[in-house]
Amino acid sequence: MLRYILRRLLLLPLVILGVTFLLFFLTQRLSPEMRASLYVKDPRQMGSLEEVIRKYGLRDNVFKQYGRWLSNVAHGDLGYSPSANMPVARAIKEYLPATIQLAFVTILLVVFFGVWFGSSSAVHKDKWQDIAARMFSVGGFSLPIFVLGLLLLMIFYGKLGWFAPGGYSFHTDMVIHGGAFKTYTGFLLVDALLNGNMRVFGDVLSHLVLPAVTLCIGSFALMVRVMRSSMLEELNKDYVRTARAKGLPETAVVYKHAGKNAIIPVITLASIQFIRLLGGTVIVETIFDYPGIGRFGVLAAQQLDIAGILGFSLMVAVLFVIGNLLSDILYTAVDPRIRLD
Amino acid sequence: MTAPVLTVRDLRVDFTVDKRTVPVLRGLSYTLEKGRILAVVGESGSGKTVHALSLLRLLPPCADIAGGEIVFNGQDLLSLSPSALRDVRGNKISMIFQDPSSSLNPVLTIGEQLEETLRAHRKISREEARRQAAHLLTSVGIADAEKRLNEYPFQFSGGMCQRVMIAMALALSPDVLIADEPTTALDVTIQAQILGLMKALQQAAGTAVIFITHNLALAAQIADDVLVLYAGLCMEKAPAKELFSRPLHPYTQGLLNSLASLSQTCEELPAIAGNPPVPGENLPGCPFAPRCNKAFDKCRACLPPLFEKNGRQVRCWLEEPK
Repeated sequence: MLRYILRRLLLLPLVILGVTFLLFFLTQRLSPEMRASLYVKDPRQMGSLEEVIRKYGLRDNVFKQYGRWLSNVAHGDLGYSPSANMPVARAIKEYLPATIQLAFVTILLVVFFGVWFGSSSAVHKDKWQDIAARMFSVGGFSLPIFVLGLLLLMIFYGKLGWFAPGGYSFHTDMVIHGGAFKTYTGFLLVDALLNGNMRVFGDVLSHLVLPAVTLCIGSFALMVRVMRSSMLEELNKDYVRTARAKGLPETAVVYKHAGKNAIIPVITLASIQFIRLLGGTVIVETIFDYPGIGRFGVLAAQQLDIAGILGFSLMVAVLFVIGNLLSDILYTAVDPRIRLD
Repeated sequence: MTAPVLTVRDLRVDFTVDKRTVPVLRGLSYTLEKGRILAVVGESGSGKTVHALSLLRLLPPCADIAGGEIVFNGQDLLSLSPSALRDVRGNKISMIFQDPSSSLNPVLTIGEQLEETLRAHRKISREEARRQAAHLLTSVGIADAEKRLNEYPFQFSGGMCQRVMIAMALALSPDVLIADEPTTALDVTIQAQILGLMKALQQAAGTAVIFITHNLALAAQIADDVLVLYAGLCMEKAPAKELFSRPLHPYTQGLLNSLASLSQTCEELPAIAGNPPVPGENLPGCPFAPRCNKAFDKCRACLPPLFEKNGRQVRCWLEEPK
């Protein structure tokens, strides 16, 4: 197990090198002047463009520049992001927890309701529960995320005013940037609880609900289908008949025996979706103006903030490898036939 | 003879295929006494497994018990409520299946699967269940039981899995054990071991057994009585010794003739020509008539009833009392 983890972690540098070099190479398609102009805010300073190019060696050969970037990264310096107005490393540290928090709440909702609806759909095959779940999942699957997001905003913010979009309330901002609020994990939801500040907790939660629900729907539809077909398959297996013949109650037959087998593909899907959410909440974060890493990535891309783009991709690559590793480890917990070595 | 533990009366099972009703079991009747072994022998599709599953009402949703009675210790199993039925399953009547490796849950430990059977029917603590489970494993000849309780089915061979299934089935000393081709998926040496084990445990506990097989030689080895099933009908029922020494029904005779034997040398194995009728095919007469070399007009026109003769039953016009 440990050897497997180490071997997979050895893969990490390779993935990072591959991804970042490809991107770095692409950014070189922009002329040095264009790349330098990002750092020059005022047209009157245009004269100093050449100075910036010389200072950062923007005319050097690709490999030399890439090597310089890499050695900076190794020293923990990801460069400065003009689009976020702060060093890239600090931006990631600031925005990533909010996205992880959003992705985590989303995936919890998806798995909980997906497994519930999917298995009840399988157990009551062709009954109204099944038909309702299937219709709902087809509907959710075909609804574009930005349409759903805007709809939810219109209804729950515009008409009903239940949830807030955009940044946290003034009160929350005051509290979390004040001295008394201790940062334990970087996840505001957890930190608010640990600080015992329910008002901040409530505000953070109310900002999470709409984006999380929006992100849910598409993944939820897929999850219901996977859980349903997996459960249907397991319910036809011989061991289910054995469990019934032993005189176990039907709930134990379905949830303990068939369920534990049927959940295996759900874990694959959930971990893939979780990783995708980490780098891919871009649209939703933009719609709801959610202060996460996806919004940072979009801004960086829009403003050709090369340091920002590279930092963002580096982070996604690292998360991807680690996320896959975690899902592999999760497998061994559910399926005894899988051994990592 | 003691009072029967299980009486099956005119059991009928229909399958619904493409909205068409297909009779698979067409009125099966027999009684089973305490401590006896009844072998139900038949080809694939004769309805033997369907009959086994219907006893515990484990049939798939497309199958439907269309009529008859299954009386177990005075209560009709077909009219039991789900919870009363659960109390019978695994406790009073238990079952082992054809493919032992797929009949055990791959993601639960052997111990868990044994213990949950015990705990479903007895109010005992986890520790007690564990202790009993270890004891059960030892009793079916699995060494190192304590350790093996923590293992999973994939760590057991097919024969070992079947031993576990037997331990599970006999855990609560049931009155009736239904064994549905318990050795078909195993190789011959393991087959003999498993049969020996089953017979030893069955005799010690006085369990009545319904042994379902397509293998006549196996039925001869283990059974007290044999019931030959063909196209969902009982063709012949007799004490095992009599059936094998003097089969009455042409189908039984054909089956016995087609057994390969090492002592005899013959050019070709005398198989029964033709195929059994497809379920749902509507034959007015005896279902075996098209393959029977002794068939005459009456056989094709009219289904013979079961004739009683010297304590045996046979469904053939040739045996009609004069």
